[in-house]
Amino acid sequence: MKINLLKYIKITSFLVALLLNIHSNAQESDASNYNMSFEFKTVKQHDNSRLLEASFTGKNKEDRKDVIPMFDAEIKFFNVLNEDEVLLGAAKTSQAGIAQITLPENQKYLTDEDGNINLVARFEGNVNVEESSAEIVVKNIYLELNLEEIDSVKTVLVSAFTIDELGDKIPLEEEIDIVLYVQGMLSKMKIAEGSISEGAYEFEFPTDLPGDVKGDVTVFSIIEGHEEYGTVIQKKNAKWGVFQQQIKKTKNTLWSSAAPIWMYVVLTILLVGVWANYIYTIINLFIIRKEGKDLELETES
Amino acid sequence: MKKKQTEEGGTDRRKFLKLGLMTSLTAITGASIVTSLAAQEEEKEPTGEMIRLLTPDGKIVEVNASNINKYPEALITPEESRKGIPDRKFVMVIDLAKCKNARKCVEECQKAHKLDEHQEFMKIQLIQNHEEGQPYWFPKPCFHCDEPPCVIVCPTGATFKRDDGIVLINNERCIGCKFCVTSCPYSARQFNWGHKEKFDDKSQPYSPETGVPAAEGTVMKCDFCPDLLRQGQLPHCAKACPMGVIYFGDKNEDIVTNGEETVRFSQLINDRGGYRHLEHLGTKPNVYYLPAVNRQFPLERGFDIDEEIKERYKDVPYVQELKKQGKI
Amino acid sequence: MNIDTRKRELVKELSPMLEKSSLLSKIWIAALISIILVGLYAFVLQLANGHEVTGMRDNVVWGIYIVNFIFFVCLSYSGAFIAGVLHFFETPLKNSIARIVEITTVLSLIIGPVFILLCIGRLDRLYYLFLYPRIQSPISWDIIAILTDLIGCFVYLYLTFIPDLAILRDASKENAEVPNWRKKMYRFLAIGYQGTPSQHKRLHKIIRIMSVMIIAMAIVAYSVLAWIFSLTVQPGWNSTIFAPYFIISGLYSGIAVIIIAMYIIRKFYKLEKYITKIHFFAGGVMLLIISLLYGYFTFSEYFSRWFSHKKHDVDLLNTLFSRYFWQFIFANYFGILMPIAILFFKKLRTVKLVTIAAIISVLGIWLNKYLIVVPTLETPYLPIQDTRAEFVHYTATWVEWSLSLTGIAAFCLFFTLILKFVPAIPMSGIIDLEKGKQSKREKNNPIVTEF
Repeated sequence: MKINLLKYIKITSFLVALLLNIHSNAQESDASNYNMSFEFKTVKQHDNSRLLEASFTGKNKEDRKDVIPMFDAEIKFFNVLNEDEVLLGAAKTSQAGIAQITLPENQKYLTDEDGNINLVARFEGNVNVEESSAEIVVKNIYLELNLEEIDSVKTVLVSAFTIDELGDKIPLEEEIDIVLYVQGMLSKMKIAEGSISEGAYEFEFPTDLPGDVKGDVTVFSIIEGHEEYGTVIQKKNAKWGVFQQQIKKTKNTLWSSAAPIWMYVVLTILLVGVWANYIYTIINLFIIRKEGKDLELETES
Repeated sequence: MKKKQTEEGGTDRRKFLKLGLMTSLTAITGASIVTSLAAQEEEKEPTGEMIRLLTPDGKIVEVNASNINKYPEALITPEESRKGIPDRKFVMVIDLAKCKNARKCVEECQKAHKLDEHQEFMKIQLIQNHEEGQPYWFPKPCFHCDEPPCVIVCPTGATFKRDDGIVLINNERCIGCKFCVTSCPYSARQFNWGHKEKFDDKSQPYSPETGVPAAEGTVMKCDFCPDLLRQGQLPHCAKACPMGVIYFGDKNEDIVTNGEETVRFSQLINDRGGYRHLEHLGTKPNVYYLPAVNRQFPLERGFDIDEEIKERYKDVPYVQELKKQGKI
Repeated sequence: MNIDTRKRELVKELSPMLEKSSLLSKIWIAALISIILVGLYAFVLQLANGHEVTGMRDNVVWGIYIVNFIFFVCLSYSGAFIAGVLHFFETPLKNSIARIVEITTVLSLIIGPVFILLCIGRLDRLYYLFLYPRIQSPISWDIIAILTDLIGCFVYLYLTFIPDLAILRDASKENAEVPNWRKKMYRFLAIGYQGTPSQHKRLHKIIRIMSVMIIAMAIVAYSVLAWIFSLTVQPGWNSTIFAPYFIISGLYSGIAVIIIAMYIIRKFYKLEKYITKIHFFAGGVMLLIISLLYGYFTFSEYFSRWFSHKKHDVDLLNTLFSRYFWQFIFANYFGILMPIAILFFKKLRTVKLVTIAAIISVLGIWLNKYLIVVPTLETPYLPIQDTRAEFVHYTATWVEWSLSLTGIAAFCLFFTLILKFVPAIPMSGIIDLEKGKQSKREKNNPIVTEF
């Protein structure tokens, strides 16, 4: 009996070990040697809506180039004033580790005495991953972009202002850096870099930019990553492009699907000439045959 | 008698219980072995590129990358692919001063077009202009010439030049005569010599704009990744280059970008003396090169690669010199 | 001379060729069939496994198949040219070899394009060439030209068969030894040709027109073939004189192959009476003239490349003189100078020596075509780097060699089979010749018959 029991125990423990082993092999490794990195930024877009973007990734402790994004983690965005926390929205991170929410222009924020908006993005942690959060402080400013021809010189006029309680525009007093871009097919091209002083900035638009095929140009003015205002984007269209390419429709060349006309002509002449001759020959053969048949009939009869 | 019976009955019951336990344990183990093996089998199926992601509960998993060109919904059929992306004239500028043979462009292109390890659409040559000059690394995609010798000689029209400047190949029309391979002066085309398993993968419908899956007995080459261009993204090689060597853009709007810098095409060419390779042949290529001046890296840095790939450059006299000097 | 008795005599003389098959010919045919079977196996292997079984790889994508294609089409050209020329000049020599020449033409024009088919990657899509043709492509021109040329030469060959088939038909009417199927075949194919003056005149009219057409077609077809190479930009191919060069080399190889064929047929069928020493002498003289021209063209090609030493030409010449040194010496020095040396001296123009010169010429031409096609692909404008080692040089595999030998074997086999069908010497031609001689004699010495 005892021996039997032992035998059974051996087999059972083997099976149990197999079970556990397999399940543990099916799992991937855990993230214990990765540091979590949490970033938060805000962009004021051209229609004056505000985008809140949180980026949550894991960086390998040993290999700094090995970065894995966190997927499907819920990030909550709050507007904080002193102890009050207003939930603005929540989003899950994408396969690139980015969670975004967009707040419309008329969103009301709690501001402190200086007019700053405190925003917090938070990942509520769990047993395996710690809580992560980041806070930014931003002031709401407006950027206006005008494309005007002043004395037949194409000028880009940028103005930055805040709107007070009465609804008046108050131009910005401090100097901020601003960059002007033109939209290309794949990316934006920088055409000017300057600073807004006394709430305004002027730039002479280059006269030889082709724009797109119809001559349209989209100009962007962007305040990039300012500590007080975040990123602010404004754009405008104008027909300021000088696109003058005559689109030479290359037809009937060696490399197009239709050949040069003279090739068709030569080919037809050659083929018709040769095949006419062949047909003439074959007709004559038939005549010979007929003659022979007639002769045969004659001699037979 | 009764005691014996109960004893016997007891032993039988115990035996029966033990048997039952053993069978159920074996069944569970067997089932879990089979399902996990099956799951592993499923994971091993080549359904696409795998990317690693962190989950909120702290584990790393691998999932299929989403189909990068969004086929089959966005499929461009072979007939549609003959008309190009409207109003564009694509052009590429390669900055030879910055290239250090990192070969990321080669690898990304191979991954995207599902090429074997030794098939490259983008080849990196080591060119020495003349005996006095230093050799430089020369990435060479297909040049998508404006007067392409390959298109002229194709007897069935399987390769064609589109209005947006791209020269594509329709693998469903190609008969494999290889005339285009012999007439390209830049040796930009490759041929599929035999049958490969990857040709049987019908999960993605065929479009000349991706060239995947390729077909046996047909020709293939760099295609400027029109499927990415339609989504407003750079081709794989330009995206992958760590040095920003490859600029890509539209000649019509005069803008090229390498992912970080966006500059005017005409300004780049004129300030840096851009030229085209073998201009005198009259092919009018659409890939411009910026001369290898003010090099940022010594040439030997480029030999930091596999032995097998290093062997491919053994005929260059400069490489033989370096080998003699023991520098590589 | 009674024409009918003369015809019967000729038939009796020449028909053993057609009916009986000696042991030697049986062995010959068996050997050829076995080579062809091995080739068929190689072909199936290539169909099943793709072109990987050949030696062609990404840089040298055209190999022996294309070389054989050019070589065989080049033979056919010379056949057409000589047939046409011989027809114009009514020499007594022409008759004996006319049929051999024409059969060579047609057969090589059938076998040549088969080699192109072997080089095509997707044979299942071959009909796209006719469904979606692009006439800017030299390959489209080549297809049209070769098809037209093939049909023309075939019709021409058939036209010259007709009188002989008529003679055979008439002779076999009474002969019980001739099997029935043969009788029927002769009757059908002779299309009722009775040799009447009007039929005779008509037939000769269309033969004359066709012979002119064939010469023109052959020039066009072979120029188009040369343009497949010379209209590209590759070093070594982009030469202005390629079309005339190919035509001359075609003539050269064609005459050489015809001399070899003459020798074999004369020996085997014991036709010393018809294919005489004079034929070999004349053939030798023609070979000499053409070889001088051919050597001149080859020299111009390579000399101007060497002299102007452009970089890519120099690279090509380096490849030719390092990797292909012995082939180059054989093809372009030995292969030209040796035949010239042999044929230059009257004393050396014996039957055997002329044939040896012809054999050297044929081998030289084949190697010359190889040296035109392959080294250019091995030295492109951009040096071959960043590819696998096996993509750099080209070595033909056994599949390619066996298929090349199959082509040659098929050529010989079909030649032999045709000669079992019609005699190698056109009988009607002999009769016409003798009629001509008789009428000339009568003109000079009119016989007055007194009755």
